[in-house]
Amino acid sequence: MNRQAVRMACEVEPFQEFKENESRSELDQRGPAVSQERRTLLGILTGLIGVGITSLLGITLGRFSIVPALAATSASDWIDAGRLDAVPNGKPKKQTVLVAQNAGWGRFTAEQSVWLIRSGEEVKVFSSVCPHLGCTITENPNGFGCVCHNSAWTRDGTTSAGPAPRGMDQLEHKVEDGILKVKYQTFKQGLPEKVVTS
Amino acid sequence: MQFSTRLNKAYSFLDDRTGLKTILRRSLDEPIRGGARWAYVFGSALLLLFVVQALTGIFLTMYYVPSADHAHVSVAYIQKAVPGGALLRGLHYYGSSAMILLLIIHLSQTFLFGAYKQKRELVWILGSFLFLVILCFAFTGQLLPWDQEAYFGTKVGTSIAGEVPLIGRLQQRILLGGTEVTSSTLSRFFMVHVFLLPLAVLFLSVLHVYLFRHAGPAGPFHHRADHRVDRFYPKQLFKDSVFFLFVFAVLVTVSTLAPAGLGPQARPGSDFLARPPWYFLPLFQLLKYFSGPLTLVPTVVLPALIFLTLFLLPFIDRNQERNPLKRPLATTALALLLMGGGSLVFLAKHQDKTNPTFSAQLRRQDDLAKRFLKTEFRAQEVSPSQLSAISNVHPPKAFTETCALCHGDSAEGNDLGPSLLGVTEKPNRTKEDLLKILDNPPAYGLKDPMPESFPDLSTDDKRLIVNWLVNLNNSDSASLLER
Repeated sequence: MNRQAVRMACEVEPFQEFKENESRSELDQRGPAVSQERRTLLGILTGLIGVGITSLLGITLGRFSIVPALAATSASDWIDAGRLDAVPNGKPKKQTVLVAQNAGWGRFTAEQSVWLIRSGEEVKVFSSVCPHLGCTITENPNGFGCVCHNSAWTRDGTTSAGPAPRGMDQLEHKVEDGILKVKYQTFKQGLPEKVVTS
Repeated sequence: MQFSTRLNKAYSFLDDRTGLKTILRRSLDEPIRGGARWAYVFGSALLLLFVVQALTGIFLTMYYVPSADHAHVSVAYIQKAVPGGALLRGLHYYGSSAMILLLIIHLSQTFLFGAYKQKRELVWILGSFLFLVILCFAFTGQLLPWDQEAYFGTKVGTSIAGEVPLIGRLQQRILLGGTEVTSSTLSRFFMVHVFLLPLAVLFLSVLHVYLFRHAGPAGPFHHRADHRVDRFYPKQLFKDSVFFLFVFAVLVTVSTLAPAGLGPQARPGSDFLARPPWYFLPLFQLLKYFSGPLTLVPTVVLPALIFLTLFLLPFIDRNQERNPLKRPLATTALALLLMGGGSLVFLAKHQDKTNPTFSAQLRRQDDLAKRFLKTEFRAQEVSPSQLSAISNVHPPKAFTETCALCHGDSAEGNDLGPSLLGVTEKPNRTKEDLLKILDNPPAYGLKDPMPESFPDLSTDDKRLIVNWLVNLNNSDSASLLER
């Protein structure tokens, strides 16, 4: 290496007199203090540290927020829907049922409702959740309707009007000692077929 | 078109509309007189640590409930059940200690190097305010888990605030939201911790960093290396990142090896030996030496004096000299303060260790907390009808004071002990058996955590407890809770 090159290498970090309270522009004029090469290497290392910390934090925050959301809210147990003989023959009855819900730190009891229609010993149980976008289905003179987007169903749950993609969702049920028991489930919205959400 | 050309075009597009290039140049090319140094990493580390505290804190509120009857279970849920929850809470929990430690280092260094001089007075004053705000963060955050330590720590802390002359009582009421530590206290501590203080830190730290950048770093106090000028990027930024990586790695390791503490739920009536976190131990220890009206010395006079000196320091000390060796008074004062604080922390720990009563009680509390942390998470039953059924049956005082910590307020059981509902239907648990158990638990094969005897319970107490338990088992509430 010749002398010229050695001197140039030394001048990468300029030697200058210190001045008290030197302004930024004065300091700036002293030129770049590091070579481009070192700049790139340290820059990459700094970037790697940043990416490392951010990804560990990001993955943890992601798992923290998403994994609990993937657990089922309600276990589909058989729940009480009252005495069967209290359901009038041929007229829809709205029945409140108590559904246990797992919501993270707590187990809550939510009041949901189902529609019951009895003809003799036969009974049909419909979810009151509209299969379109989840509003609550109410009774109307011709059967059932959803006031949100004007979907309508006949008394046996067949769609007669509106945007609902399928008929009202029937729920599994059984009768034990005169008590009607319902398997309360929710179904995916917007699909022509009934798919249980889990 | 090549990718890099496209990138450059996009960059120019942004720059034309935002002035991004200038901002980046100004912030990354900041000249550092005397060159980049490891000594300068603490301020950046504090800023980054605050970002981590903010992020983890924001996400913790996804599950946390600031109400006395759900706070503890929601924290237990985060700690024990949510994936990544223990790490996240650990980072936040130990992060607060790390922040205070780094603050003490940052502040001491700025003081020692005289970096608050030469037009940097406002930077220093803002920094002192930030110190105060961070201490408020620590104090309000302590209550949120609503465990024994949280409850009693806050009780003592707010009582100290109540000792201040003239405004004390009012101040205490405003802090508590009433006359006692209740769910109202929790709500306001939560609001202050989660909304007010972060806003304050955001405002103060932006101003702090802006004014610091405006004045420029002070550089080494000896001026020996002043001929050198480094840019903030890459040398100083690299050093800052390496140090922060170290801090972060320590926090992750500690959170993994020693999960953040969480004891059993707060029980206002129980006897709990409250000990503050390490950074409040000097104040705690001083309280032992002053009584009567002199209590004001450690609670009001000394803190006020320290913070007043902090705020006014740049105006008290007008000397332009920065070398700590040429400022013997300042250097000695700092050394004394740090050593004094350190000795008080040591004394507080030492006295607890050597006092047999205290050390036994503290160990018991610690064991209980550890055991609670190890037990599996159990979701809280939330249903209006069940809750009212339980609260209608008042347990005897003796049960509440002696048994409820492990068996629950209404004998419904908790993470530490089994439910006692329906206990009479189990074998060897008749009314007579229960009375005998209270006289001699080991005789029935009951082991720790069930105590070996109940010296505090009179025969009447025992009879009351057993009668209540038997009645409880016959009533409706038992069947309700069975679900």
